[in-house]
Amino acid sequence: MSKPKPAPLPSGTVVGGYQIIKKLAAGGFGVVYLAEDSDRHLVAVKEYLPSSLAERAPGELMPRVKPEKQPLYRLGLKSFFEEGRNLAQISHPSVVSVLNFFRENDTVYMVMNYLQGDTLQDFIVTARDLKRDKVFRESTIRSLFDEILRGLRIVHQHKMLHLDIKPANVFVTNDNKAVMLDFGAAREVLSKEGNFIRPMYTPGFAAPEMYRRDGTLGPWTDIYAIGACIYACMQGYPPNDAPQRLEKDRLALSLSRLRNVYSDNLIEVAEWCMSLDPLSRPQSVFALQKELARETERRYTKLSFSERLKLQLETLKTGQKA
Amino acid sequence: MRFSVYQVSRKGGRDKNEDRMGYCYTRDAGLFALADGMGGHPEGEVASQLALQALASSFQREAKPRLAEPLRFLNEAVIAGHHQLLRYATERGLMDTPRTTVVACLLQGNAAYWAHCGDSRLYLVRGNKLVARTRDHSYTELQETLSQVVPMNDRYNRNVLFTCLGSPGKPVVDTAGPVLMQPGDRVLLCSDGLWGSVSDADIAQALSRCSLADSVPELVERALRVAGSKSDNVTALGVEFEAAEAAEATEATEAARGVSTSDLGEEVFASTIQAAIGADAPVEDLDEAEIERSIKEINEAIQRTSSKRR
Repeated sequence: MSKPKPAPLPSGTVVGGYQIIKKLAAGGFGVVYLAEDSDRHLVAVKEYLPSSLAERAPGELMPRVKPEKQPLYRLGLKSFFEEGRNLAQISHPSVVSVLNFFRENDTVYMVMNYLQGDTLQDFIVTARDLKRDKVFRESTIRSLFDEILRGLRIVHQHKMLHLDIKPANVFVTNDNKAVMLDFGAAREVLSKEGNFIRPMYTPGFAAPEMYRRDGTLGPWTDIYAIGACIYACMQGYPPNDAPQRLEKDRLALSLSRLRNVYSDNLIEVAEWCMSLDPLSRPQSVFALQKELARETERRYTKLSFSERLKLQLETLKTGQKA
Repeated sequence: MRFSVYQVSRKGGRDKNEDRMGYCYTRDAGLFALADGMGGHPEGEVASQLALQALASSFQREAKPRLAEPLRFLNEAVIAGHHQLLRYATERGLMDTPRTTVVACLLQGNAAYWAHCGDSRLYLVRGNKLVARTRDHSYTELQETLSQVVPMNDRYNRNVLFTCLGSPGKPVVDTAGPVLMQPGDRVLLCSDGLWGSVSDADIAQALSRCSLADSVPELVERALRVAGSKSDNVTALGVEFEAAEAAEATEATEAARGVSTSDLGEEVFASTIQAAIGADAPVEDLDEAEIERSIKEINEAIQRTSSKRR
């Protein structure tokens, strides 16, 4: 039933003056390669090659797009341009930078800085498997998000929204810099099936307004995702997704598990960002930055006996950690 | 052309901010616009956003890089926004159409042109004098104008408009220009949240006294203070016209917030007005020329950004 994914370009292929070394990743929108420019500098090259719309046999260069899929393919291309246009305007260490953009093989390519390191997602998985009481240290979380928020502030200043902030889209380089990746407006459009467009989102990190057709998106939508990332850095797992929370909100309960491990202030910040009502969240990145940077004495509040009991009951009832 | 611009929008005491603002420019022309979505009708913030998007996309389509007929352009681009609103309501089967005011100013060469519909205003200040101001399409302002001609009895609420985008009848669009600009001339676009609380004289005085980066936020803060906890959305966009020609490189780079449009190539367009997000954007086919143009734009942006980095 599922058709084969289009084949990546073979190693050694030269596109737009860049020599492909290997495939780094593939997603719904296309393929990211590690490549070398003419000065032998490493770069990442992103090829527009939506797997649901384009076909390419191994060893071939040109993707084939069936005529009935052409309109969607072109629509996705527009979003790919949008991502390029967005990134091209921003020069900030916390936002991946675009170096070049060109057309070849009947498709388009975006050349970006090649970053060495791992995604925040990888770090969370590694850290939580150590099964310590803390996933990351509080100071690590604060400084990590301070960097991410600096980048996000620039993004918002350019009247753009990221709309898919999650640990897998935050890259931590080997020299300890956090960089936001994947400004793929492309996905939003490529999920179009039949007559309606289903917005793409990552459960757990997507704010409730992302699920609604008429939802008004704004900086607060990205801020919800930041809250969810902070949550994941403390808990080791993503929070419940927004529809689940709208039905029965267990957020406060699962955050109470972190009391006395992380400071009350950090827990409150995560909860504030993740308010279901967009207006109750910090309305700008700046407001959030100020709160995160506030260096007051950290207060820790232990769980009371009844709160512990409630947590245990919840664990029994659901058979899992809240 | 060189100009500097400062814009700010505040929600005030309302639940939502239904005001929108933004600007876009090519090498030879700049378009500045502000819209105030109307309460009492559905989705005011959608209305104001759609009106601006219609302006920006008309501008992008026609300013290559100059507009042949600025006044005709303004009129048609405003009406295009009106049609977008009607289409939006029809597509969704809304009982009522979202409505908005709009005011737009176009700078091209050393001339300014503007158009408005509703009660969002444009002020033009030269030195410390208020040189021009749009007349609202409200019954009060109409009354003031007509009272010399025909006697009218009732006093109307200033908020009642006789035209706006999205209303059943064809909107009334007033256009003005060309007005020759002098270096240092300032244009302010604002929503009624601002002029409802700050007098014309105070607006002109604030604009003439200090830089836009100081005067625009100060005016907005003042309006919010005067209106208190019930304040309407307050939005203002100020533009200072600096010169029709590009300056020497050194001077241009020093102008703090100044924009020099000569940085742009022939066919490039820069905008702060966010294109429609996802679902409801009308799908236009990308043709070959459009693809080439997009790639060129992106590479120009990359160059601009990386030269800033150095």
